[in-house]
Amino acid sequence: MALLEIEGVSFEVDGDGFLTNPSLWNDEVATLFAKADGIEALTPNHWAVIRMIRTHFDENGNAPMVRALCKETGLKLKEIYELFPLGPARGACRVAGLPKPDGCV
Amino acid sequence: MEWYHWMALATLLFCKTLFVIRLIEIIKRGAPNDLSKPSGSVAKGVRYSYTKAMLPQNKESAYLHPPTFGAGLIFHGGILISILAFIWFILTAIFGWATPEIIPPLCCLCLLGSSFCGVAILCKRVFKRALRALSCADDYLSTAIVTLFQLATAGYFYHSDPLPYYAIASLFFLWLPIGKTRHLLYFFAARYQLGFFYGRRGTWPQ
Amino acid sequence: MITQEQKEKALAILADRADPKLQTHLNSCVRCGLCADSCIYYKAYGEAQYIPAAKVNMITSLYRRYHTTEGKLLPGLVGTRKLNEETAQKMVDLFFGSCTLCGRCAKHCSIGVDIPFLVGKGREMLAAMEIIPKSLQATADMAIQTGNNMGIPVDEFRDTIQWMEEELQEELGDAEAQIPLDETNKQILYTLNPREPKFFPLSIAAMAKIFHAAKESWTISSNYYDVTNYGFFCGNNAQASVMARNLYEETYRLQAKRLVLGECGHGTRAIRWEGPNWLKTTYDFDALSALELIGEYIRQGRIHLDKSLNQKVCTLHDPCNLVRNGGLLKEMRFVVRSAVTHFTEMTPCGTDNFCCGGGGGNLAMSEYNERRLKIGKIKADQIRQTGVKVVITPCHNCVDQLTQLNHTYKLGVEIKTVAEIVADALIINKE
Repeated sequence: MALLEIEGVSFEVDGDGFLTNPSLWNDEVATLFAKADGIEALTPNHWAVIRMIRTHFDENGNAPMVRALCKETGLKLKEIYELFPLGPARGACRVAGLPKPDGCV
Repeated sequence: MEWYHWMALATLLFCKTLFVIRLIEIIKRGAPNDLSKPSGSVAKGVRYSYTKAMLPQNKESAYLHPPTFGAGLIFHGGILISILAFIWFILTAIFGWATPEIIPPLCCLCLLGSSFCGVAILCKRVFKRALRALSCADDYLSTAIVTLFQLATAGYFYHSDPLPYYAIASLFFLWLPIGKTRHLLYFFAARYQLGFFYGRRGTWPQ
Repeated sequence: MITQEQKEKALAILADRADPKLQTHLNSCVRCGLCADSCIYYKAYGEAQYIPAAKVNMITSLYRRYHTTEGKLLPGLVGTRKLNEETAQKMVDLFFGSCTLCGRCAKHCSIGVDIPFLVGKGREMLAAMEIIPKSLQATADMAIQTGNNMGIPVDEFRDTIQWMEEELQEELGDAEAQIPLDETNKQILYTLNPREPKFFPLSIAAMAKIFHAAKESWTISSNYYDVTNYGFFCGNNAQASVMARNLYEETYRLQAKRLVLGECGHGTRAIRWEGPNWLKTTYDFDALSALELIGEYIRQGRIHLDKSLNQKVCTLHDPCNLVRNGGLLKEMRFVVRSAVTHFTEMTPCGTDNFCCGGGGGNLAMSEYNERRLKIGKIKADQIRQTGVKVVITPCHNCVDQLTQLNHTYKLGVEIKTVAEIVADALIINKE
């Protein structure tokens, strides 16, 4: 457990900087987490990805396949990687307030 | 032959027995029964492990630390001389042989040098913070006993009192299989294992 | 508090006198401390606890205390330690949080102590006590329960594979191009790291493109495709065996001639080198890495590469489990040099490489994230010094760590797998 401070706001996060309590997530958290990753402003495409991940997480308790992400947002795989330079797991899932997915990510 | 000769020989026997038992254990355990398909040669790996892999240019533990590596080599040379000298002293005690004149000054010079290295290695352990944190009593004791044995050997070449010499030699042989000095035997087994591992996987020879 | 039962189970591991390696390595270290500078943890932190010999001492002091006469009679003299709660917690920190099992120290050890072997034994002791970092154990458990470490449902996996097949067909302009699933009697059963279907499927398409070019007869199993083996990381040989057996039996079930291990360092090591010993059997099929297979294709002229298609300056990161612990140093360079125009090496590299920092399960353990990034700076600095634009590495675990290093230390490079860089250089339709 650690504290992550972004622009004066503190968050309880795990060692990888993923939100400890995903229910504390909101749009402001997403904006701040994205900033910490060097994404200055979240575009509608960013939000589409974030919302899809969030909905999937609320319904299934885990991160969606990147396949589902592309299908539902209509974005190309390449675009998703460009939107979140750290990738769908360490990038997008973290901004969407999910716990860190297990495995080699 | 005085009683202290017998005492020293008894400790040598103790030492030898323990090492022989361990050697038999090592041989009995044998090579790993590795069922994976080899992609390199175990024989070549083992040969490399005992030879080229030991060269200073192939080991960071040597080429990043030339003074320690050099001191270690000389120190170990001193141990070999001391053990050979011990056997010689016993033989002279039994058969009354005379030591050739050239031997004492030569050995003494070497042993003083190697003892100096032993002291330096000991000092490094005492004064270097990280190394001190890593160390236990065995680390100081082993280097101290071995250094002392070398100094005593040097002195005995010039007919110092036999009792302290044989007492120190006895201590040395008693400690050898108990302390980390046991690497005298396990060193060879470990290098074999490492050569086996890297050889089988095709990493060594490189 | 750890119970007497936990203690006994853990200590029993050190009592094994039949193991050909164990007693030798438990008795070899002289704590000269010269291994310190070979370890990325010590290099990054300069603290005595990170010296590889200190990790060795953690386990050998327990061995001496409980399993040797001198340790029982002279505990103060020969350096001993009691196994209690405090020791157990320190063991977790040292064996999981302070070692990536890269093996660099062993290669440079003045004696030849197999230090990662001993750290692995330490992990086995912790597994016997069931004190494994949570995130690591969760990943292993998921693989046991679902057949893959990310718990991907079969239908979603199939869907992703089909998607990649469509991408492949589109790229090649060939509606016949395939990613065959669950087909029997093929030459090759190919395996993946679950992070590929879950988050980074382009490497699947890249490998499929290579198979297509080589006109290979191949398949992927939709049940057991996971090449990773987190049981190996956890020091849990029972779990590791189950995972290895899954792939072993699937190879027979689908009657494949060769089991090709996707680009995963520890997974390749676990199946290729450790698996037969866990399963107590030799394989009567070939188990080889994708890297070796690609090398074979190039040598046999089954695929043709045009280096000029990869113009950016590249370097190679050597995964510890494939190079130092897997002997693929030359093969890897042969493949990469065949696929790129400009290639440069890091210093040091090959069997002297520094671990990316994510090995030994560290990438999956949130507990040690900060340390992982700090030790990774060594690799980041190495990459920066080469001035390259692309870093190639045949291990998804390394890829992810390097991606994070790239971001954290602003290296501005691309990270690619070998299949991806080879696929980019492929000449299709050459007669």
